Amino acid sequence: MKEILKLEDISVGNEEVKILRDIEFEVKKGEIISVVGESGCGKSMTLRTIIKLLPKNLKILKGRVYFEGIDITDLDEEKMKEIRGGKISIIFQEPSSYLNPLFTIGNQIEEGIKDRIKKEEKKERVMKILKEVGLSENVYYQYPHQLSGGMQQRAMIAMSIINKPSLLLADEPTTSLDITTAFEILNLLKDLVISHNISIIFVTHDISLARFISKEMIVMYAGIIVEKGFSNLIYSNPLHPYTKKLIDCLPEKYNKGERIRTIEGEVISFKNLPNGCPFYPRCEEKKEICEGFLPKEIEIENVSVRCFKYGDFMES
Amino acid sequence: MRKFIIRRLIQFIPLLIGMTFISFLIIQLAPGDYFTQLKMNPEISPETIENMKKNFGLDKPVIIQYFYWLRNIFTFNLGESFSYHVPVSYLIKIRLKNTISLSIFSIFLTWIISIPFGIYGAVNDKKFHEKLLSFLAYIGISLPSFFIAMLLIFFISKTAVLPLGGTRSIFYENATYFERFLDYMKHLLTPGLVLTISGIGSLYRLMKNNFLESLNSPYIFTAYAKGLPTWKIYFKHALRNAINPMITIFGYELSGILSGAGLVEIITGWPGMGRLILEGVLSFDLYLVMASLLIGGILLIFGNLFADILLALVDPRIRLR
Repeated sequence: MKEILKLEDISVGNEEVKILRDIEFEVKKGEIISVVGESGCGKSMTLRTIIKLLPKNLKILKGRVYFEGIDITDLDEEKMKEIRGGKISIIFQEPSSYLNPLFTIGNQIEEGIKDRIKKEEKKERVMKILKEVGLSENVYYQYPHQLSGGMQQRAMIAMSIINKPSLLLADEPTTSLDITTAFEILNLLKDLVISHNISIIFVTHDISLARFISKEMIVMYAGIIVEKGFSNLIYSNPLHPYTKKLIDCLPEKYNKGERIRTIEGEVISFKNLPNGCPFYPRCEEKKEICEGFLPKEIEIENVSVRCFKYGDFMES
Repeated sequence: MRKFIIRRLIQFIPLLIGMTFISFLIIQLAPGDYFTQLKMNPEISPETIENMKKNFGLDKPVIIQYFYWLRNIFTFNLGESFSYHVPVSYLIKIRLKNTISLSIFSIFLTWIISIPFGIYGAVNDKKFHEKLLSFLAYIGISLPSFFIAMLLIFFISKTAVLPLGGTRSIFYENATYFERFLDYMKHLLTPGLVLTISGIGSLYRLMKNNFLESLNSPYIFTAYAKGLPTWKIYFKHALRNAINPMITIFGYELSGILSGAGLVEIITGWPGMGRLILEGVLSFDLYLVMASLLIGGILLIFGNLFADILLALVDPRIRLR
């Protein structure tokens, strides 16, 4: 199967902080891949790196981004504008604030159309896409505040697929929705993969949701990928101590009446990253070597993991 | 929408009555009146003063006086000025025209300058030339308008580029219509510039901050992620959201048309309402003060209504059906 996106050894940051380190993964055509991790671990930054919309004070320090076989790392703004919303589009956690409150849904979807076609044709296309994501044609004339959270997210999705992209970046698209609406949105995304042959990078903090939606997943912690591989393998047999903890905290793992477990300690701040493994301060299986050195990625039975538990392979 | 406007217009009537009633009471219950000064004058006999009081209806209780005044208002009679001995409406007519043209001129100039500069400042935030603009804006905000007026008057009197004081030059009588207009505008320029300079700073900062806030909003990120051209992101998505809070401020500015320029009018010698009101208040000229308060109140209410209508047109969230 052909890969559509490939990140090669990406580091993002500035002189003071490194937000992302050695990010490397690929997305296959027509597949969903999940990126899992706590808030502030660099999941959203990874997405923003792909479309090159990083905050002004951050930049790509090293590594390459390949999209459909082309290196887009140093592509100029004008060409990136063609790709953004065209071949790669993005949906967000809170559709209510990511939709402009002063324009109708129809207007906001229509303005994104890249093809130079007549206004009536554009409208027709918007109507078609609205129907496809399960909204009535009436929504075309409505403003964001007149829609429910689920409908707003559907409108966002309609907006993102209007140019038939090949890659959809989904930044926690179901977090602000209630569970039934969230599942409807997930099913819609899964349908899109089949009907449009879209690939999706699905960012979430919920590892069980990741297993449900995608065949492969990536677990991130403090800007590095700690574990990556097939979702079922990772879920049933997590290798990295952090992944183990994440799965251990899931609600379905509790007996009735048991106190909710958390991961001891806090997510490390990017300002004072340790030299060694960033998870070291919270890890229960730490060794002496973990403090001073960052482990290298090693592959164990189709899952790659960065932990000294599985041998002393360190970053040179 | 029409229902909303009609309802608001009906609400105005009790509001205006309440407002004028309280003003009337405050003026009349304050110690001293127009006749206190006349009584000091030994040439005016107490009988004359009593007669004058009767003529103006001031020998009756305050409440009755108010209702007399209110009745006259509904017949468009604003009463007679004590000190000028002419109808108040006659006094106000010319002055009102001058004040309104001054206010509209300065508001127009202020907005037409500060809005684009505000956008420019927000887009170039934290760069050197933006810091320079902000610095200038701070100077504009901190200098009181009367001081700016004095500086400008000093400059003009030294260079004689513009006429000072009044609305007409000597040649006015023999001038053509166009020359008269030009002459009027030249006279208007001094107080107009003072008001503009003192207003630009704060409006620039407001617009800059609004635009900046809107540029940092999530929906702007969406617009970037859609690959929209930059001008469309600025002038469609950011501008519409940034202009929203400005509309409320615009409404307030309209309500200040009458009284906002008072101090500057007095200093630059512009014969507007400001000076008339000040004189009226100082000499307890009851009906003159009441008339200007009434006009001010009406302008305030209409300014707010105008802002509400504009806001409803721009923002679908507060649009009433």
